[in-house]
Amino acid sequence: MGTITFNDVSKIYSGQREVRALEDVSLTINEGEFVALLGPSGCGKSTLLNVLAGFEKVSSGKLLFDGTPISKPGPDRGVVFQEAALFPWLTVWQNVIFGPQVQGIARADYESRARQLLDLVGLSSFADALPVQLSGGMRQRVGIARVLVMNPRALLMDEPFGALDAQTRLSMQQLLLDVWQKLNTTVLFVTHDIDEAILLSDRICVMSARPGRIIKTIPIELARPRSIASLTSPEFVAYKAEIMSDIRITDHH
Amino acid sequence: MSSPTERISSDTGDKRKAVSSWTGLSLVAGRGARRIALALILPLAVIVIWQFAGQGTGNLFGGVLPTPDRVWNAWQIWAFGPTGMGLNPYSGTWLANVLFSAERVGKGFLFAILVGVPVGIAIGWNRIAAGALDPTIQLLRPIPITAWLPFSIAVFGIKDVGAIFLISLGAFFPIVLNTAQGARDVERNLIRASLMMGAGRWTVLRRVVLPASLPSIFTGLRIGLGIGWTAVIVAEMVAVKSGLGYVLWDAYYVGRMDVVIADMVSIGLLGLLSDFVILQIERWVLNWRRLQSYQS
Repeated sequence: MGTITFNDVSKIYSGQREVRALEDVSLTINEGEFVALLGPSGCGKSTLLNVLAGFEKVSSGKLLFDGTPISKPGPDRGVVFQEAALFPWLTVWQNVIFGPQVQGIARADYESRARQLLDLVGLSSFADALPVQLSGGMRQRVGIARVLVMNPRALLMDEPFGALDAQTRLSMQQLLLDVWQKLNTTVLFVTHDIDEAILLSDRICVMSARPGRIIKTIPIELARPRSIASLTSPEFVAYKAEIMSDIRITDHH
Repeated sequence: MSSPTERISSDTGDKRKAVSSWTGLSLVAGRGARRIALALILPLAVIVIWQFAGQGTGNLFGGVLPTPDRVWNAWQIWAFGPTGMGLNPYSGTWLANVLFSAERVGKGFLFAILVGVPVGIAIGWNRIAAGALDPTIQLLRPIPITAWLPFSIAVFGIKDVGAIFLISLGAFFPIVLNTAQGARDVERNLIRASLMMGAGRWTVLRRVVLPASLPSIFTGLRIGLGIGWTAVIVAEMVAVKSGLGYVLWDAYYVGRMDVVIADMVSIGLLGLLSDFVILQIERWVLNWRRLQSYQS
């Protein structure tokens, strides 16, 4: 469970100037696979995530989740937003149990799981804190816990660590590796950070902008379990060199 | 060998340390006392000048405006004098009239909230509701509350309902406009997050749009309550036979300017008190927001 299929999907924003955010994107993400979507800002990678989440509709093509067309957002596809998007008036605990609560699940059926997850992301002692009292990294950990508590078949992460400082980002990447290696959920991870994409994913899809297209797919065959120590291995550096030549970063100096 | 200056400086340093745990509390208390003192300077100055200007005759402007001591005396009789048949019809009726007015404001304001908040959320949240309701509201809004008086008396007669209608109407517009603004400005990702977690439309409204709009709603409530006090005085002057507004107009007709001034001050203090109550509720309800602004 958790297979994602894009079949010639296009997304066009009509307006004064038509924007082709996605053009003929075909992509299959298999059950339990971790795929990173890498590209510069404005290349349509967030659009791809938004149509998959059900926040926006595709203009043409087919988009299936476990064989069913996607029509609206739902707890089977847990989204982690860049700025966490926690409810500022709810405590950490209330934020984490929001999903099961609004789905009408009995308290006894989610309470222990929510506690475990809060423990897993290291925030047990902050259960009664408000989001504003947390650091950016802690907020993002709440964002991950509140999604995992719903036991989604896929995790959609939209540059979740993009707004964090370098050190916090590393510890969050390690946390995500640990969590994912335990759960093995399908993950689509949007990022513009090459290191992050290589470190986390099984496969990197490189996107280009206007029109948004997947120009290259690179399988990452680094051994698992990985950790942030992998960042300095020779294989890692080789992948990085390959990707950098692919996206042809132009040197302005 | 330490010099005397060194000793003194280390001494004060120690004291400062010992005091530091108290500074938080005493700072707040000190700040509060200073704020109140600062706020009282202007009104006290006005009262003193007013009193001295009218010294001797006890009046200003050729007998029209009584001095503060006479206003104070009039208020004391109005508040604590014996009620019943006497030469002073206002004697002992202050509290009753205050309660009449406050009850009308309370009822009208409550009704304005019950209608204004849901309508405001609907306008801010739903395009069809906005298209259907907003133009009519914008058309009615510029009509001042005084212009509604003849209509209100014709429809409701000289009764409480008329006053409550005017108060509700006056408070309704700021409440509905601010609520709609708040509902429109809810962060898109909060809505998306709640939908992603399986919330239905109604749940999104109740658990996301409403709390996210609360800061704007409270702004509307404070403005609306102020207008409610204006409306109750206008209504009581014309459309009912009790309350502070009625006494105000009645006292003017019989030339009791001391009662008029005491009445005006009473209205001001009641408005201040009711705003303070709303502010306290807001601080309690929007605790999360206070923390937010404190940090930034």
